[in-house]
This record gives sequence, C-alpha cells and structure tokens, in this order.
Amino acid sequence: MGPVEHLHMSVFSQSFSPCGRFLAAGNNYGEIAVFSLSSALSPDATDMSRKPILTFTAHEGPVFSLLSTDSHLLSAGNGEISAWTWAELIKRNTKAVWTRRPNYKSSLEIPEINAMTINPTENSLVIGGGDNNLHIMDLESGVFKSVLQGHTDYIHCLSVRERESEILSGGEDGAVRIWDCRTGQSVHCIEVYKYEDCARPQYGKWISCLTTDSDWMVLCGGGPYLSLWHLRSLSPTSIFPLSGCQRQATFYQDMILSVGEGQFVSHCLLGGEVKAQIPCTPHSLNTLALNLNSTENRVLTVGGSSHQIDVFANLSYRSFSLAF
Amino acid sequence: MGAVTDDEVIRKRLLIDGDGAGDDRRINVLLKSFIKWCHATGSPEEGFTQHQRMLGTLAQCEFSMGKTLLVYDMNLREMENYEKIYTDIEENITSAHDKISECKKEIQRAKRIRKNRQEYDALAKVIQQHPDRHETLKQLEALDKELQQLSHIKENVEDKLELRKKQFHVLLTTIQELQQTLENDEKSENDDNQESSMENGE
Repeated sequence: MGPVEHLHMSVFSQSFSPCGRFLAAGNNYGEIAVFSLSSALSPDATDMSRKPILTFTAHEGPVFSLLSTDSHLLSAGNGEISAWTWAELIKRNTKAVWTRRPNYKSSLEIPEINAMTINPTENSLVIGGGDNNLHIMDLESGVFKSVLQGHTDYIHCLSVRERESEILSGGEDGAVRIWDCRTGQSVHCIEVYKYEDCARPQYGKWISCLTTDSDWMVLCGGGPYLSLWHLRSLSPTSIFPLSGCQRQATFYQDMILSVGEGQFVSHCLLGGEVKAQIPCTPHSLNTLALNLNSTENRVLTVGGSSHQIDVFANLSYRSFSLAF
Repeated sequence: MGAVTDDEVIRKRLLIDGDGAGDDRRINVLLKSFIKWCHATGSPEEGFTQHQRMLGTLAQCEFSMGKTLLVYDMNLREMENYEKIYTDIEENITSAHDKISECKKEIQRAKRIRKNRQEYDALAKVIQQHPDRHETLKQLEALDKELQQLSHIKENVEDKLELRKKQFHVLLTTIQELQQTLENDEKSENDDNQESSMENGE
C-alpha cells in the first residue's frame, strides 16, 4: 500500500470488539484493519502500537458497514456479508466463517449494502442497501427471513428501537420509514423534506444518518438539517444549525455527538444549541464510534477521508491518531 | 561468652565508635588515669587533683550516656508520630477516592437530569405551538350554540312557510270553488233562460 493509496484512502466504518480492546476499521479499498486499543492507550505506547495488528482484504468493494456481535465481526461489502470470529482475528487468522448474499431480484448489478444493524429481540440482522429494500436475516440459521419493501430509492441508514420492536430506515428518497418487526409493514413514513424548518432544499432531500434513543430520534441528511424528533408525536423538536451533511450521529449521556462534512466533531445539546466543535485530522468524517464495551478503553474514535483514525480519550480533545 | 565471638565484639565496637575520638577514648583515658592514680607516688594534692579530674571525666561519661538515652527516646517518639501521620494520610487518600467516585456518580445523575429537562423543554416548545385546549373547547361550545340558534331560526322560518303555504292553499281552493259555484250558477241561469225562451218560443 503505497503513499498514493494512503492519500486516497477513506475510512467508512468502524466497530469495537465485544471485549472492548480492539477496533476494526473498514476502508474504501475493501480492507479491514484491526487495531489493538489496549496497547495504543497504554502509557508506553509507541508509533508502532498505533498501527494495525492485522490488515487484510475482506471484499472487492468498499466496506461500508461493520458490525460486532458477541463473538463475530460482520462486514458488508460488494453486496455480500462476511463474518469473522473476533478470537480468530486476534490470532491473525483471516478466514471468514461465512459469506452470504441477500436475494437480490436482479442478477445483473449487485447493489451495495450501506447499513447493517442487529435486532436483539429476534436475533436477526437487518440489512439496507442499494436495492431499496430491507432484508432481514436470522443470525442463527443464516436464512433470509423477509424483505421489507417500501422505499423508492436506496437506503442509507438503519436503526432499531428495541422496546417497541421497530426498525427505522432512512433513504435517498427523503423518507424515514418505521417498520414493525412482527408484521413487516411500514407503520409510519415521515417525509422529512416536507417540514419547512428542517428542510434544506438546496441540498436535496436525502437522509444520511439516523439514530434513536428510546423515544427520540436524531436524523440528518445531505438534505435536511440535523434535527431531533420526538417519535411518539412524530414531530421535530429541535433543529441544530450545523452546515453541511452529517454522516453519523449518536446519543451520549446528555449530548448528541455528530460527524460529517467539516474537520470537527460536533457536540450538541438536546435543546438545539451546538455546545462545542472539536477539531480532528480528517477533513471530512464518515464514521463515529464509542467504545462502551470496556471501562478502561472508553474512547471515541472517528474516521473519514484520511488514512488516520482519531482517538479521543476525553471527549474534549483529540488524544492521538491510529494510522492504517 | 563463647556464643559471642571476637569478630562480633570488634564489629560492634567499630560501629559504635570506630574512630577513637569520643566516649570510648574517654573511658580508656579514665581507666589509664585510674590505674596511674592508684600507683601514684606524688604529693597528696596531686593525688587529690587527679581524683577530681577522674570524677570530672566520669561525670562527662555519665552526661554523654544520659544524652544518648534521651535522643533514643526522642527517636522512638518521632517514629510513632510519623506512623500516625502516615495512617492519617492513608485515610485521607481513601476518603478522597470515595469522594471522587461519589462526585462522578453525582455528575452522571446531573447529566441524566439535564437530559430529561432538555427533552421536556423540546417537547414543551412543540406543544406551545398548538393552541390551548380550553380555548378551543370554548370556541367549539360557542360555535355549537350558534349552530343551535340558527337551526332553531331555520325551523321557525320553515314552519311559518308551511303555514302560509297552507293558508294560501286554502284561500286559493276557496276562490276556485267560489268561481266554480259562480260558473255553475251562471250556467244554470243560462240554462233556465234558454229553457224559458224555448218554452216561450213554442
């Protein structure tokens, strides 16, 4: 991997291991790198400990989504999903446990998979991608149980509300659909661009990121502003004045952390104000991940259009960067 | 005495006073002067001064011994004092640790409360945009009343219309009947006239 490839690398996805000591990151060349967080965070860390302990090519296309279950790492790329066990990856064994592909209707072109999430109540994997549908796969048997149709354009982001057993999906068609897991029907459809306060018609209507926290949902688009919605009443409560498109957001304690276009991580309060914008290395960020699996490695990592992944041990400033 | 070897004794003596200056030398000098005084051949005054000098040296030795004992006591007490301070500081450290974890819990609680408050505020903002329920109810009641009144009026007007219709109907039928009767009368008169003229003509 020469310096030119490093220059053009973008990190699209991240996932922490279930023990919290390792971070897997996927880039646009189809590679996955596993970093050891415990050695990078230890007091006697050197530059070598900030390099991956393992880098391998997982897919032919970019790895847009990575997800960790209790024992496996699932990665989505080139229209297929592969699974690796974390135990084997830590031992530097890169043989995939299984590789599956959802039943796409057309066999001519393979739609990419943009988002994956796990529905814990039914132990199933929900996949959304370029064929405008959500595919649900049972994790134990590996069978693709059902297909949820309703979006008219491809799906960018997914989220699951465990308590109400609902799946939320946001897509290029500007609609956020709420699906009921049991019936497989779209319960609600919110067309965000139709709400005047949120919409930014100059950017279009597509939804780029979506995340939920019990009764509340934060979504942002390439189109609409980053806004906080109350799900029971399906109404927008606060709009955050962030310019550009936000590509990933998450709820953390009493704040919303969001990354996107712009060389910073935005900290927003639920009331609608942007509390802080912390600068970081990549010029534009694609992914944000919080390590909640471990108490001593509780860090925030962000990656974007750079071969470096910034690590924040304290949310207020960048501690150091891991490099591919 | 066989248990303590010469080496031990020599080592101990060297440790205590190896350089030959100080108490050890004083005791040796005292011993030598005592033996010299015992074998003294000089005048009684000289013997007396020697005796006094020896007593002085003895006093010096005793003084030095007393001083060492006091220093030893002092060191023991200082050790105790330091031990006490050490345990105090340890306790303070553990209590500070406890306080820190308490404060961390407090901060988590406060963050949760702040989050709830902000969620409440956000929802309240949306709710405020909608009109008050009482007002809307009152408006609805007023509209209901108006509606009732208007339907009342409509009923009245319809009744009146019916009544007038009926009256006009009665009037018109009476007029028609009268007309009929008049026509019939005229016709019967004409018939009578014709009959009488026909009778007259024959």
